[in-house]
Amino acid sequence: MSEFFHQYFDFTIMGDHFSEVLEGFFKNLLLFAVVVLLALMWGLILALIRQLPGKKFAPLRFLTIAYIDVLRAIPILIILLLISGGIPYLNFIPKDIRIPHWFGQPDPFWYSVLGLTMVYGAYMAEVYRAGIEAVPGGQFEAARSLGMSYGKAMRHVVVPQAVTKIPAPMLNEMISLLKDTTLASVVALGEAVLVSREILAETFNSSAVILAGVMFLVITLPAARLVDVLIKRNQAKVTRGAHIEVG
Amino acid sequence: MTLADPMIKLEGIHKRFGALEVLKGVDLDVGRGEVVCILGPSGSGKSTFLRCVNLLEPPEQGNIYIEGNDICKGPGSGTGEQSWKLDFVRQRVGIVFQQFNLFPHKTALQNVTLAQEKVLGRSGQEARAKATQLLERVGLGDKLDQYPERLSGGQQQRVAIARALAMDPHVMLFDEVTSALDPELVKEVLDTMRELAEEGMTMIVVTHEIGFAREVADRVIFMDQGVIVEEGPPAEVLESPKEERTKQFLGLVLDR
Repeated sequence: MSEFFHQYFDFTIMGDHFSEVLEGFFKNLLLFAVVVLLALMWGLILALIRQLPGKKFAPLRFLTIAYIDVLRAIPILIILLLISGGIPYLNFIPKDIRIPHWFGQPDPFWYSVLGLTMVYGAYMAEVYRAGIEAVPGGQFEAARSLGMSYGKAMRHVVVPQAVTKIPAPMLNEMISLLKDTTLASVVALGEAVLVSREILAETFNSSAVILAGVMFLVITLPAARLVDVLIKRNQAKVTRGAHIEVG
Repeated sequence: MTLADPMIKLEGIHKRFGALEVLKGVDLDVGRGEVVCILGPSGSGKSTFLRCVNLLEPPEQGNIYIEGNDICKGPGSGTGEQSWKLDFVRQRVGIVFQQFNLFPHKTALQNVTLAQEKVLGRSGQEARAKATQLLERVGLGDKLDQYPERLSGGQQQRVAIARALAMDPHVMLFDEVTSALDPELVKEVLDTMRELAEEGMTMIVVTHEIGFAREVADRVIFMDQGVIVEEGPPAEVLESPKEERTKQFLGLVLDR
């Protein structure tokens, strides 16, 4: 039993490597922050294109649906490998773009930003879509009959209501994203998992990996609780609204 | 019935939903300042017809003229591909719905200012002044900053009327606006509509309120199965209907 504890919970090893792992974890957080901002925007754009009405937009709709479905259907690791193992060798792309070192971040960071944004944009587009479809059709009709264009009706009436219906599922996506930032280890970004794996290889001891896991827990566990609170609150709102409508 | 200079003229309106032909060629002229009430059993096509007037349901066939302007852009009636001058219609025709459809994320005042600012380009100040004046007129001057969920159904419907009026429509459509209301709230909405009629607004009203039709309408139309069965002054259609179907319907409604 003590062997087990020594293998996984050696506090000396944890203490010795704490700052290294934490530094790695900050890279996870930074990657997460950048991707969340981009994916929230990209997802909304995808969702809005997917909702465009009329025959004219049918090809664009089809492409968007194909994009969303395909990117959700293949492992993120493959996407990351295709980006980091391919883009650097496309010589027709200017070097500053194919091997980016913007804002002091190394190229693996930006490959991860691209890959995760592409995939999480697709996930989040589906969440936005659920929100948009949950807005009653009468809202859109009312906006249109007041003379608003399709775009204005979406922007001022439908989307503001849609986003109030989705904080819980969106937060779930964010929790998944934070965990999936560890996939950046395969493109050699020195984040928490890569760092702790190197320590594992040096010491044959798993405690640094446990440490990395705990750092994620500290953020994701309260966030998961928050999702529950949001769901409960939303349910209360829905029942209250129904009550008013009935009588 | 044809008028010399109709505000709205609809000719041969056809509309189908899949295999179901809801409107089978409906004609209607509405004069300036006229109040037309449309009655009929559910499924008669009266709401669909009303929604054709402002193109929420674009008809497949038929012509629509608003103040003499043909609002079909082409390629013409019956092609199923004609396009319509949506903006022209929506700037002139206001509509109030059965389910109110107020914007729940906006206060009463913001419900009335939103389209003024975003569509008509009025300044915030101008839109607020207009909205305040209209909400006072429908008796809600003390509810400006309330959200719809805090208002009764009757109050919500009056906000919806103010919201439509804020766009300075030339014609107002009312689609069973009291059907979703508790009985004691119906009167306040009908009173608002009555005042509007007295001020000379052109109105097309789909309703089950026979009393309102008798008092306020200049003309009553009875629709059934996608056609106009009978029309005329309320005294005629409601007191001594000629058609069997009208008699039947009125018998059922008035016997309650």
